[in-house]
Amino acid sequence: MLKRYFAAITILATLSQAKAEEWVVPADKAKKVSPFAFTPESKKAGEALYKANCMSCHGMPGKNNAIPLVPPPPDLAGTVAQSLEDGEFFYKITEGRGPMPSFKNSLSANDIWNIISYLRSFNDKYVQEVARKITREGITEGNIQILFKLIKENKQLQAEVMNTTAEGKKPIEGAAVKLFAKRYFGNLPIDEERETDASGMVAFDFPKDLPGDSTGMVHLSAKLVDEDAFGEVKSDTVFAIGAPTCKPALNEQRAMWNVVQKAPLWILFTYTIGVLTIWGIIFYILLQIRKIYILGKNKEILGE
Amino acid sequence: MSELINTTPTRDAGEGKQPVDRRDFLKKAGIVSAAGAVGAAAVYSGWNFQQKKPNHNMVTVRTPDNKLIEVPRDSIKTFKPILSELQKRGREGLKGKRWVMVIDLAKCRNARKCIQGCQTAHHLRPNQYHINTLTMQATENTPAYFMPKPCQHCDNPPCVSVCPVNATFKRQDGIVLIDNERCIGCRFCMAACPYSARIFNWEEPLQDNGYQEKIVAYEKALAAGDEATIDKLKYEVEYNVELNVPQKKGTVSKCLFSADRLREGKLPYCVSSCPNGVYWYGDQNEDSVTNGTTKETTRLTTLLEEKGAFQLMPELGTKPRVYYLPPKDRQFKFEDDRKPEGEA
Repeated sequence: MLKRYFAAITILATLSQAKAEEWVVPADKAKKVSPFAFTPESKKAGEALYKANCMSCHGMPGKNNAIPLVPPPPDLAGTVAQSLEDGEFFYKITEGRGPMPSFKNSLSANDIWNIISYLRSFNDKYVQEVARKITREGITEGNIQILFKLIKENKQLQAEVMNTTAEGKKPIEGAAVKLFAKRYFGNLPIDEERETDASGMVAFDFPKDLPGDSTGMVHLSAKLVDEDAFGEVKSDTVFAIGAPTCKPALNEQRAMWNVVQKAPLWILFTYTIGVLTIWGIIFYILLQIRKIYILGKNKEILGE
Repeated sequence: MSELINTTPTRDAGEGKQPVDRRDFLKKAGIVSAAGAVGAAAVYSGWNFQQKKPNHNMVTVRTPDNKLIEVPRDSIKTFKPILSELQKRGREGLKGKRWVMVIDLAKCRNARKCIQGCQTAHHLRPNQYHINTLTMQATENTPAYFMPKPCQHCDNPPCVSVCPVNATFKRQDGIVLIDNERCIGCRFCMAACPYSARIFNWEEPLQDNGYQEKIVAYEKALAAGDEATIDKLKYEVEYNVELNVPQKKGTVSKCLFSADRLREGKLPYCVSSCPNGVYWYGDQNEDSVTNGTTKETTRLTTLLEEKGAFQLMPELGTKPRVYYLPPKDRQFKFEDDRKPEGEA
């Protein structure tokens, strides 16, 4: 009896799962594991991040109080979510799909691992697998640098990825590089992600019409995509590669809505003429009254 | 030299009036200015004496927590309000910027987080909206969708044209603000706005408890002359035209594009509160907008072009700074389980 009951539950669970289109994580991404061991500190940091970024849809883990959306956001402490690999969790949070937003621009890898650490604290059976230190030939030691070069004629930006070790400088081949232009609220990706060639060089096409500041200066930032292999390698620079922007202030033109100094000329003109005319008439009348008064006085004198 | 002065002809000479020569004039002027200097010195030394004189007259003052205390008269300091400073920078705006907002209607599922973020920041009651999500449906057979509607921050703002006291104004970065210290509550602007973006403070504003505590702490610091605390709290307590806090009963209020946050390089309250990636916000001069949820940055022109953006009532010539992306390719079903306004 009990067996049949469990079978029914399992079938129901699979059916309801099948209803939502399967979200397959690429095998290599699913194998990714956290670079650090989960601790009470990481869990605490993850809890704060969860409340700020995830709770509004998923609700509190284990409370089953996700908001009723279609498809429903799963309870992340539930068995379905907890059956995911760490790498799958990581992939889904970074990439997002449909209504689930991508967090790759708003949360760092560490932040995401902290959130996973928090979610795993609801699973007693979970045993963490921590990444071994990944080593790759030639990059375990030394100082990796990205050097920029601007080719003005065709608005191309070259970056050279070099590793300086005790033996001297060596180019890094096959490293994926991303280039960004700094904007007021974030980093704008420029061109595609590109891999370095045998000489460590990579070239990016810069859009011809991207605005820079008033002199066309653009703050650029390049980074190596594979942080697991190279660590955090970033380089910033400024080039006069953008289109110079010197748009006038939006309250500069003369308009009805602007301040008195910038009122339309016809208003200033009509107003001034109007005021002058009215005061002119008043003064004219006063002048005439004065004339009458003087005439009267003269008459008095004449009369005497 | 002296001969030259003596021989200088005077204007009134020959008309029977007393001739005034330069020497006499200089003599008289010297006497007058010397007398003036002596007088000023006397007044100044008197004032100085008054300033330095220890005055132990006691004055009774009421503290913010309703206690009457006696303080020496000379320990009272004049408080110079920073109001003018906040209002000055609030009127100027940020140089070289042209703020722009893009609202993706395909993403809005009426989570109302933007509204909450906004109402908390600006001390609004739950029935007061600087931004509201409206349910839109043109005809019976066309699909319904949600439309968040903030102030459009028009480049040709009719509300600013009609303000009789220059309380509402447009800044160089495109934001239309209201100075509630100047607002007389005539509500001409509310009548002029075609987007019904403005609200009126009929009641005393709803201030969260934290704000009241800050005011108490600030006033205590003022009484004690605690400069460090004053500096820390002054911008949070004084009227900030870029936040329109504290709100004032009898004045108009509206969306401010979170001008105070932009100054700090942060996205507006509504934009960063949205869990669904509805809002893009940025600088048109940089041709870039950043999504409030995913923090992804993209080219503004490309986004508008690819998604077929539109604006509200462009035929009025108001030139709004808010763009809408049409509600197509929606990843959720439209569900409106809200009760009509007022029944909640």
